[in-house]
This record gives sequence, C-alpha cells and structure tokens, in this order.
Amino acid sequence: MANILTRMGDGERVQMSVSEVRDALLAGTHDAAQKGKIPELGSDELEQLLEIFLDKNRIVGVAPGEEVVLTHDIGTLRLMGDQANSGVGIPLSRLQGILVHERAFAADTMELGHIDYSFKPVKPIISMEMQEYETAAMMTIVPLFYGAMPNLGTYYRPDGPFGNPSDLLPQGKVREAREAQLEAAGHATRDMVYVSSKLHEVACEGINFDTTAAAGDADFYATLNAVAEIKKTMPEMAIEVGMAGEFILGMHGELFFNGQRLAGMYPHQQVKVVEEAGADIFGPVINTNTSRSMPWNVARAVTFVKHTVAVSSIPIHVNVGMGVGGVPVFETPPIDSTTRASKALVQIAKVDGL
Amino acid sequence: MVSVQELLDRAARAIVNADTEEAVNVAHLTLEAGVDPLLVINEGFSRGMAEAGELFERGELFLPELIISSEGMVSAVRILEAVLPKQEKKVGVAVIGTIEGDIHDIGKGIVATMLRVYGFEVHDLGRDVSVKKFIETVRAVKPDIVGSSALMTTTQTGQKILEQELQKAGLRDSVKTMVGGAVITQRWANKIGADAYGENAMEAVAKAKELLGLTTK
Repeated sequence: MANILTRMGDGERVQMSVSEVRDALLAGTHDAAQKGKIPELGSDELEQLLEIFLDKNRIVGVAPGEEVVLTHDIGTLRLMGDQANSGVGIPLSRLQGILVHERAFAADTMELGHIDYSFKPVKPIISMEMQEYETAAMMTIVPLFYGAMPNLGTYYRPDGPFGNPSDLLPQGKVREAREAQLEAAGHATRDMVYVSSKLHEVACEGINFDTTAAAGDADFYATLNAVAEIKKTMPEMAIEVGMAGEFILGMHGELFFNGQRLAGMYPHQQVKVVEEAGADIFGPVINTNTSRSMPWNVARAVTFVKHTVAVSSIPIHVNVGMGVGGVPVFETPPIDSTTRASKALVQIAKVDGL
Repeated sequence: MVSVQELLDRAARAIVNADTEEAVNVAHLTLEAGVDPLLVINEGFSRGMAEAGELFERGELFLPELIISSEGMVSAVRILEAVLPKQEKKVGVAVIGTIEGDIHDIGKGIVATMLRVYGFEVHDLGRDVSVKKFIETVRAVKPDIVGSSALMTTTQTGQKILEQELQKAGLRDSVKTMVGGAVITQRWANKIGADAYGENAMEAVAKAKELLGLTTK
C-alpha cells in the first residue's frame, strides 16, 4: 500500500509503500558504499531512516540535546535577491541580512560575501570589503566568516587569461590543458591568500572556501595550497572548506597534495587532505539524483557523510540545501525534505553542524 | 618472440595506461610478428579502450587520460589499418561528423577509424559540422550511412535538425542515420527518428553493418 508521502529528487511529491521506501533506502546506501568503497549503513540505521520517512508530520526534528550548530553561507543574498536569484526580494543591505540571520534566524555563524562570490572579483574591491566586514563584525556576536568560491573557472578564457581546459581537452590538447590549469591554480592560490590576508588585517574571524573544486582537481589543489599558506601565516583565522560536489573531477588528473592524488576523491578522502592543509571545518557535499526518490538520496547522503565523520578529526558541517545532502533540486527546498535530511544527517551520520 | 596473447595484453594495457608510445610500439611489433592486425585491433586495442571506458565510469581514470588513450588507439590502429588487405568491394559508404556547435572529436574519430578498419569508405567531416555541410556531402558522395556525434545536451538538437533537413532535401530515404556521443541514448535516437544509436565504436560498426544487412553477430 502506497501511503508514505515523500518526494523525488526533483521535488515532485510521490507516494511510496513501506517496502518501496525500505528498498530505496537499501539501494541508496548500497550505491554510496559501492561508489565510495565504504561501509553500507547497518540494519538498525536503515530502520532509523525508515522511521524518519514514516513520520506523518510535515516537519521533523531532533530531541533536545541533539541539536547541532547551524551555519549559513551567503545567506544575505537569499534575503535581498529577487526570486529569480534564489532570494525573497526583501530590500536589505548585507549588514542587515547578517543581523537578521543572527538575531531572527538564530544562525550560529554567519558570513559576509560579495554578490560575485568568488575570490578573483573580490581582489580589486578588497578595501571596501574590509570596511564592510569590520562594520559587520563589530555588530555581531556569532562568529563571522568571509566567504567566497575559489572558482578557478574565472581564470580561464573568456573570463581570465589562461586557456580553457573545457575547450582544450576536446581538441586533444592535454598538455596545454594541464599547463593552463597549473598556471590558473597558482594565480588562484595567490588571490585567495591575498584576499584572506587583507581580511586578516581587520581581524577577520574566519574564511569560508565555498563550492571548492567546482572546476575539478586543479580548483581543489589551488584551495588546499591557499589554506596551507593561510594557516602558516595567519594561524588564528578559522578556515572552513566546503565542497562543490561529492566527487573531485579529474580535469587535470595528476595533481597531488601531500602525495595523494586529488582526482577521484570522495568526501571521506577529501576531508583528510583538507585536514592536512590545516582547515578547521569541512563541509562535504553529496549530490542529489533527481530521478531517484528522497529515501534513496538521503540514505546515500547519510552513508557517505557518516563515514566522513568517522574518519575526520575536524568538525563536519554538511551542506544541506537545494540539490545537496539528500534535499531535492528545488529552488525553495520543501520543509518536509530539508528537515528529514537534516534529522537523518544529525542522528545517524552524527554531523557536527548543518 | 612475443606471443600473440602477450601482444594482445600489451595492446590493451597500453591503452588503459594512456601510453601512446607503447601502443605504437605494439602496432609495429604486430606487423613484425606477422600477427593478424584485425585480431590485435579487436582483442587488444579495443579491449583496452573498453576497459579505459569502464575505469572512467568508475572515477578511477580521468578525462585527460581517456583522451590520451583514445589518441593512442587511433595512432596504433592507423599503423595496422595501412596493412589490412584492401577489400575488393567496400562494405559501404559512411559520412560522419560532430554536429555543429560541438568541438568534441575524439570518440567520433575512433568510430571513423573502426568503420574504415571494417571496410567502409568513410568521409569524416570533422567537428563543428553544419547541417548544410552534411547535406552537401550526402548529395555529393551518396553514402549509405550518415553518422552524427554530439557530446553536449546543447548540441544534440542538431541531430534532430539533421534528420529534418535530410527529409526536406528528399535524401532521408536514401540513407540510414546513426547517432552517438556521450549524452545520446537509444531513447533520443528513437525520438528524433534516427535508424540506430551506437554506444561505442565497436557497437557503431556492428549497428552500421546491421543497417546494411551485413550482420556478423
């Protein structure tokens, strides 16, 4: 009997029977285990997951005492952006947005980020960002990060000076593509260190490298080198590394950090190099498959994240939102899906933060 | 003296290891040892390419290596192809190209090479080929097969336009059409009315022969 109301990975509401949900959970954990070569969830954990999906309430939550840290990245944009830009169209400044998150939304940390949200375009306006950060930091109690994406894509043509691997590789120009990525990575590292050092001058509490490795292994390589350099010269500044996806694309294929090949890494491997680089928090991403159900996606996300937590020595603040962490790819993620994914990741994967 | 099995294994390994130099060496060794080139292409290099594809799917081999593997395969097959006995009668004529807006050439290049190996006369139009160019070539060479490749969802619609334009030009009934490329599926082929979809080079050859009633399954 199909009586459990849940969703597909694209947000569509569907009804599933208990046995269908059970099968989906099993298939989801199996998929993660197979891809990541990690352990599947145990039967008791799958039962816990089933209970979360059996709950008839629209919103689910954890018991008192099980709460975890709730952080936001560039949340200010979600307030000030219009609806076509993932926002709700409320005319607020970035400072007001940060204060709303701290005082009304009970965010445990918040972040200042520029609308371009990438280190490269922030570089020429860093003086203004320093002022804005200082003002915001003076008015907030919660830890305030400065966040931006490494975004190696901005260093490739047409946005940057280096050859674009996406053009070069299909032409068979492997050597040129690899050289371009290495050069771009060098510049990106320098920019990330420069921007961070300027923010350090205004007592910045932390840098959030968001959407890391979006452009593949060279993007990750540039970020890890930047993190290592920042930790060496500005050790008191906290660093969070959040990922773009669950898998490091091998656009270069032969980049190593501390002897480990970056291409092909899954979250439980990513966290180890992030730790070695000196980061303080890791934000894994598990991608949502739109043609699979939420039980499948959540079981898969929990399997990956649970193992990442198990091997990590630093706090894990998993990404949970549109298209990640088991949540459907939906502009405004439905509350039933975000709360179920969050509860599962907290109770079973034992994450430190969302 | 190198054994045939050793030669086949070395050929496959050279492709998996993305070692073009070794692939070329194996091709020369094949000729020196007098081993059947077709056997080495099928059981050695093609096997290696299939293995490389699987490793890529599993995230254990990456795009640059896959590209080098493909280049190694094409270089080695080119050497062996030159000594294959010329077939008195060509199997068929194929026009092949990557659809307009798409610059991905490697997979299509392998398909073209394998079609040649199996006796087709191949007119490889290259990449970023306009529908107009396809139509002109079909008029000029009167092929049996028209194959188009697309690697991106943004360019795959070009294959649909090609089907429509062949129809408009009154050429559709005189040719069999085939589609391929990373984003292409049998479902897409059915949807646009293409006669066949080939997932990889060997399947493309098999389907091309099947379309011409030359099945050797």
